[in-house]
Amino acid sequence: MNEYAIQKRKEKIKFGIVSVISLCVFFGVWYLCTAVLHLKPDYVLPSPVQVVEAFFEKLTQTAPDGATLGGHILASLQVALTGYLLGAVIGIPLGIAMAWFRKVDMFVTPLFDLIRPVPTIAWIPLMILWFGIGLGAKAAIIFVSAFVPCVINAYAGIKQTKPVHLWVAQTFGASRREMLFTVAIPTALPLIFTGLRISLGTAWMTLCAAEMLASNRGLGYMIQLNRTLARADLIVVAMLTIGVIGTVFTVGLDALEKKFVKGGRRG
Amino acid sequence: MEHHGELKHDPIISMRNVCKTYISEHKTNEVVRDVSLDVAENEFVVLFGPGQCGKTTMINLIAGLQLPTSGEVVVDGKKVTAPGPDRGVVYQTTALFPFCTVMGNVEFGPKSRGIDKKTRRERAEYFIKLVGLEGFEKSFPNQLSGGMRQRVGIARAYANDPKVMLMDEPFGHLDAQTRYMMEAELEKIWQKEKRTVVFVTNNSEEAVYLADRIIILTNTPTHIKEEIKVDLPRPRQYSDPAFLEIRRKIEEICDDTL
Amino acid sequence: MKRKFDLEKTVYAVAAIAFFFLLWWFLTTFTPVKETTPGPIEVLQLLVSSFYTPIGNKVIIGHLLVSLRRVLVGFSVATIIGIVLGIAMGTSRWAEAIFKPIFELLRPIPPIAWISLVILFFGIGETSKYILCGIGAFTNVTLNAYTGAQNVDPELIGCARMLGTSERDIFFRVILPSCTPQIFAGMQVALSTSWMAVLAAEMVGAQEGCGWMIQRGSDTLNITLVMVGMIVIGLVGMLLATLMRTIERRLCSWNIMEN
Repeated sequence: MNEYAIQKRKEKIKFGIVSVISLCVFFGVWYLCTAVLHLKPDYVLPSPVQVVEAFFEKLTQTAPDGATLGGHILASLQVALTGYLLGAVIGIPLGIAMAWFRKVDMFVTPLFDLIRPVPTIAWIPLMILWFGIGLGAKAAIIFVSAFVPCVINAYAGIKQTKPVHLWVAQTFGASRREMLFTVAIPTALPLIFTGLRISLGTAWMTLCAAEMLASNRGLGYMIQLNRTLARADLIVVAMLTIGVIGTVFTVGLDALEKKFVKGGRRG
Repeated sequence: MEHHGELKHDPIISMRNVCKTYISEHKTNEVVRDVSLDVAENEFVVLFGPGQCGKTTMINLIAGLQLPTSGEVVVDGKKVTAPGPDRGVVYQTTALFPFCTVMGNVEFGPKSRGIDKKTRRERAEYFIKLVGLEGFEKSFPNQLSGGMRQRVGIARAYANDPKVMLMDEPFGHLDAQTRYMMEAELEKIWQKEKRTVVFVTNNSEEAVYLADRIIILTNTPTHIKEEIKVDLPRPRQYSDPAFLEIRRKIEEICDDTL
Repeated sequence: MKRKFDLEKTVYAVAAIAFFFLLWWFLTTFTPVKETTPGPIEVLQLLVSSFYTPIGNKVIIGHLLVSLRRVLVGFSVATIIGIVLGIAMGTSRWAEAIFKPIFELLRPIPPIAWISLVILFFGIGETSKYILCGIGAFTNVTLNAYTGAQNVDPELIGCARMLGTSERDIFFRVILPSCTPQIFAGMQVALSTSWMAVLAAEMVGAQEGCGWMIQRGSDTLNITLVMVGMIVIGLVGMLLATLMRTIERRLCSWNIMEN
């Protein structure tokens, strides 16, 4: 340890403390505005203490929205994962096929472009009318939201394969099929993961909307119903839960990416 | 302490017992060890040294982008403590502002110093013409070739009217042919617009072609190994026996450095 | 970039779209699908008539304008705040230490999850719609301005110092232009998220706007109306994206690589 290192560490500690103070101020102001000054009624803006209380209460209680927090989480996860996995499983191969086979590209791309600009949220009413308000409709909505980014990124990933690499493979006598699996797909892998990450974000967001509009369980439903019941504390609990689960997913996906994508990711 | 170079006038750049040691979290790294060097006005000095020696550090020390650990650098009678417009730098990577056109890049310096639009436009136009980029004023750097970008870099440094030009391997990234062309071009520009130049390179041919005086540096920690005066008439011929003789001498000196 | 007219491609594209509409028409004319889904002709008829027959209190253009106004107000305000905050975090360690933890705390919450809280707080009027659109745009713009400002090439800053540029000028003439492309990339995503947020907000509680329109279609079991809404929403989304790309091409032409 030399002087420079000590100074650097000091800086780090200093700004770390600033960050902690900043968070404390954030919660302090929140607490002050609610529990002390009562600027807004509790049912509009709960104090942080109330939120924590509501969280623990909700772990075991089903009132007032029909399920415990765990129940809502499970319901949401079931929908989200079903739709998301379907979207990825169908979307990625389709994107690869569109980029690899010229005829598929020419035929499917126009159709895809026709559907792509419609935001997934706009699909909600249609899916509800088609599939009712059960798991089917919601999974179908999440499917659309995950499907589109998966296709786009897999497509772009394959398209960025450098001809040079394909030529190299060709001189080694690789068949077209082998070139796809040994050259093109590994090249596309980083972008495929980007697609998975983007679609995870949109899927999770779309889920909230879907559950708000058509559900009787799930975190989005919890947010929606508790507004009509004026239970802002439970709304905040649901929001934070959604945030935490989203973060966990992102971190998990990053770990998976690190494991599968070798030789570094661009950008 | 021995002094290098005999001087006709007061030196415009003067490095006195300059040392530079980098201190990072895990280790200390001595890069420049006790360098003293004087450069006369309008002299073309080449710093020549092996790959990873502290050549860029020397340039940065004169530029004021880094400060010496001990010793001092004096430019035009003032001690260097910060970067300033009296010293112009031409970078190996060109460091052109990608969001400015050629014109925008060349007049960047004058504009920064509050020179009025008409004057700085004229200056910029003059130097763009001098480096042979007429007609490319509105192009962005990403539309230019490597050699052209270096020309913009040179014009940009000149347009700010610095006392001293610092060039850090400006032609290092160019292909051989472009490099020859740029060397000739630079010499022509310098003949027309005389400035004090400190030019860094690891190419002995380039060094002999351009320099009034070549300072040969050692590996890190860098210090001055030797210096060679080049008295050949300009423009020089690469195949001139006297030229080749100087190159041979440089390589000899460097061989026992390693 | 100009592409040559590719006959084969055009033929395939026309065939694909014709196939899509024929299939749609076939399914909704000759199969049980017709019980639930309107055919292309019905949808087209309603689309045309919606331009002069009001749905709710407005014709379709009216609803569009309402939604667009909400998006643009929220988006513009959030973009300005986001750029300022992002660049501040990217250039000042103090700003980073102060704002980043709070930003990171709130960032994972999707904009749509804010709907209930915002409505409780600001009522169901225009303000809450502006705010939701703003939240939709804010995260992406801030994040991109932040990484953009962090990644400004230090050599360029050194170079500007060498040329005698003042610190203030370095900010406006080097840092800010350096991160425009990234800020623009953020704004593009932000605009589409805003567009999504306004739909969600209108579906949950509104009397007008595109989101309200499709929700109304859903409530009255009018799939034709839902589809018309989706078409219009898709077209506008596309238009907004094209608009952003055009502006980007103008402003950031220096950043587009010549191939």
